[in-house]
Amino acid sequence: MESNVIIWGIIAVLVLLSIWLTHDLKVENPGKKQLMLEAGIEWLENFFKDLLGEQGSRYTPYMMTVIIFIAVSNLSGLLGFKPPTKDMNVTAALAIMSIVLIEYAGIHAQGTLGWVKSFTRPMALVTPINIMEIAIRPVSLCMRLFGNMVGGFVVMELIKGICPVLLPFPFTLYFDIFDGLIQAYVFCLLTSLFISEQIEA
Amino acid sequence: MNSLIAIGAGIAALSGIGAGVGIGIATGKAAEATARQPEAAGAISKALLLGAALAEATAIYGFVIGLLILFVL
Repeated sequence: MESNVIIWGIIAVLVLLSIWLTHDLKVENPGKKQLMLEAGIEWLENFFKDLLGEQGSRYTPYMMTVIIFIAVSNLSGLLGFKPPTKDMNVTAALAIMSIVLIEYAGIHAQGTLGWVKSFTRPMALVTPINIMEIAIRPVSLCMRLFGNMVGGFVVMELIKGICPVLLPFPFTLYFDIFDGLIQAYVFCLLTSLFISEQIEA
Repeated sequence: MNSLIAIGAGIAALSGIGAGVGIGIATGKAAEATARQPEAAGAISKALLLGAALAEATAIYGFVIGLLILFVL
């Protein structure tokens, strides 16, 4: 329940931020704000274009949304909220969205028949394993994000219990900031790798 | 009964050994590869992050199973 409220808060903040950042875009004499925004968006876009390839570039807006959402969720622990990604329901929802998009990308790129046939690659013997992967991929995506966030949270709580002054500072750099950003990166890296695998198969 | 549950959770946490060894080997090889070919550092670090994430997954499964044993069973 609590994560639901925090997610709505994060969505509101991101929407307001987007409106504020994009409300006065100019072609000539762009301001500092617009240049920074453009540099950031271009960096993310190039990152996903590299992974997804030319054909998969239609999925970059979704991946950019997801990486921003997960990164902000993971970092919201810094402000004293419980990170929503610490709730397994949230990561399960993200993982289900990912697997639906992955299989949709396969159907869109290869046609329904080609997608069904792709299960028999590289040979007919591995078909059961390929079918099992549909279930394994979202479970591992979900558990990876959830487990990392819970692990970091539990360790941080233990450290805060030992000594709440100064001692948590170096650990919060690793567990909250570094780990949160790396996990957002890994989630999107894996999703886009699976998508490009479906497209190129 | 409680001590048995705690022992089970402890055994589940042993899955961290494999992940630690795996990530250690992967990072060592990545450092070697970067020393040999510094210009390929970007591609190497991407492969390293992917491999580390996949290797780490086993440790995370052990952790989740440990939590399930402690709090759900």
